[in-house]
Amino acid sequence: MSIYHTSLIRKLLPLLVLLSILSGTALALDIQSVIREVEQQYMGTSSRARTTMQVKTSHWERTLEMEAWSLERDYFLVRILEPAKERGVATLKRNREVWNYLPKVDRIIKVPPSMMGGSWMGSHITNDDLVKANHIDEDFHLRLLEETETNYVIECLPKEDAAVVWGKIVYRVRKTPQVPEQIDYFDEEMVRVREIHFDDIQQIGERIVPLRLTVLPLEKPDEMTVLHYRELVYDLDLDESYFSLRNLESR
Amino acid sequence: MLLSLAFRNLWRNRRRTLLTLSAMVVSAALLILALGVFSGMFKDMLASATEQYYGHLVLAQPEYHLRRDLFANLSVDIANHAALMNEPEILARSPRLRSFGLLSRQLSSQPVELLGIIPELEQQVTSLQNKITVGYYPKLEDRNGAMIGQGLANKMKLKPGDELVFVTQAADGSIGNDLLIVRGVFATGDSRNDNNLVLAPLPWLQDVMVLPGRIHEVAMILANPMLAAEVADRLTPRLPENTEVLAWGDLLPEMREVIAAYGVSRMIIVTILYLATGLGILNTFFMSVMERTREFGILMAQGMRPMAIRSLVLLETLFLGGIALAIGLFCGALMTLYMQQVGIDLTTYITPITYAGGTILPRLHAVFEVANFLVPAGMLLLVSLIAGFLPANRAARLDPVVAVRED
Repeated sequence: MSIYHTSLIRKLLPLLVLLSILSGTALALDIQSVIREVEQQYMGTSSRARTTMQVKTSHWERTLEMEAWSLERDYFLVRILEPAKERGVATLKRNREVWNYLPKVDRIIKVPPSMMGGSWMGSHITNDDLVKANHIDEDFHLRLLEETETNYVIECLPKEDAAVVWGKIVYRVRKTPQVPEQIDYFDEEMVRVREIHFDDIQQIGERIVPLRLTVLPLEKPDEMTVLHYRELVYDLDLDESYFSLRNLESR
Repeated sequence: MLLSLAFRNLWRNRRRTLLTLSAMVVSAALLILALGVFSGMFKDMLASATEQYYGHLVLAQPEYHLRRDLFANLSVDIANHAALMNEPEILARSPRLRSFGLLSRQLSSQPVELLGIIPELEQQVTSLQNKITVGYYPKLEDRNGAMIGQGLANKMKLKPGDELVFVTQAADGSIGNDLLIVRGVFATGDSRNDNNLVLAPLPWLQDVMVLPGRIHEVAMILANPMLAAEVADRLTPRLPENTEVLAWGDLLPEMREVIAAYGVSRMIIVTILYLATGLGILNTFFMSVMERTREFGILMAQGMRPMAIRSLVLLETLFLGGIALAIGLFCGALMTLYMQQVGIDLTTYITPITYAGGTILPRLHAVFEVANFLVPAGMLLLVSLIAGFLPANRAARLDPVVAVRED
């Protein structure tokens, strides 16, 4: 009996191990998709959005009206509608490259690697954010830091070979509906330097998304960028050719 | 009487005196030449930093030089403030607006530092107009004419007439952007300037940055750059609050260190070289005193006082020093003059070296500086006296009774 019992366990052992590994991966996959969904909540497979961006700094304050299109995680096009002085200024992201179109001089400029950390359209969002944000699940090791009844707290630490600017990112995501509440960004010295808060949660088609995000640069307490989605439409008939340099210039 | 005696004694062993004299002359002359060349090198270095970029004094908001904050700007009127106008040491003033941005042409872009300047004023402060390799210095009427460094021109394959886009953060939060047309290319040898610096007319940059009537700094040139710190201290209290005048030494602390260290190293070089020369002189006079033991004994027996004997020997060394000095200074000045006028070009052997914020040019070239003559001259006389003192003392202490018997 006892011999039989041991051998049964022995027979089952690989299965048990496999099961435990599987459950581990299942969990890992789970947080990966949580992060990916947070980062792509405004994109879906494809999307079009009308947004208002309010930027407040200690020297000036301004409001931009913009229209944006996206396809998968790799293509993104945004064009300024207001103010009139900047109408037509546009940014195109293709894979990991960012291009700007400047109607005043009628030129397209590729943002060089050295400027990727620079501000995008004068806001507290950087060019890097546009490029790398939706690759978080690829560039970072994810770990479930804390799970409460209502929330997940997920910690992201950069992979050794990843070219990223953050030392750590912490996501606080609500479970139901699954929407982000807050993202904290830490620099390489593990000092918290930026927070993004999400609110104005709305149902758009089948999705539930927070329509307003507030970026707070913690070194400059009196500054912030508020990005508010006024219109958001998912699953349009768009393909890669829409995100061409030629299209960046048009209109 | 003592004087003529000393002078005649000097030439009793003509060969020995001439040999010592020539050693002194050569060391003094070469020293003066070497110091002149050193000074030339430092002057090149300082000039490369001040006359190609900073100026000797810079007026700006406090800490502007550290943070280069776009919003730390001043009214353009500050350039004509009474305190600056009334300071006789200031030769020229150039108001400038500075912007960091992206210079782009087709698919290539480079990060650059763009200085908005009033060309005719800037040309009195910096001397980039003397470094133009092709094209011309943009004029105010060119509106968006730019002058760029050789390194940048090479990297982006630019020549005069080419169009560029400059993109930067404007003061109202918008993306400041406009076309620039390359008018001239300069080459200073300082890689930082040649690769990054762009000059364009001030009104154009004020427009792009949405900073009408504003500047970041006033660069100034002085009659004597070594007085910069003094003049800066004098000016700051007379200027409006929230402005500060910095001397080149504050902007280039390494350069100030290097130049301060030069004063010390000059003394060290002089001391080492003269130690050797001094030993030569010492040797000569010891020999001469030993040979004349009997003579000194007789002089003393006849009533010459030890003090007079001592003075006699000291006078001899002083004469020698004086003659060496006259010839040495003359030869040194002659060689310095040659190196100042002609110099030696080393372009084929070495390239410019950037050091302590300045550029050491590949040339040997001397400048005249009073201290480079005074220090070797003073030290030569001092060394002669010290070297003469021991033999003179020995001669003065001779016992006439013993000395007379000496052979």
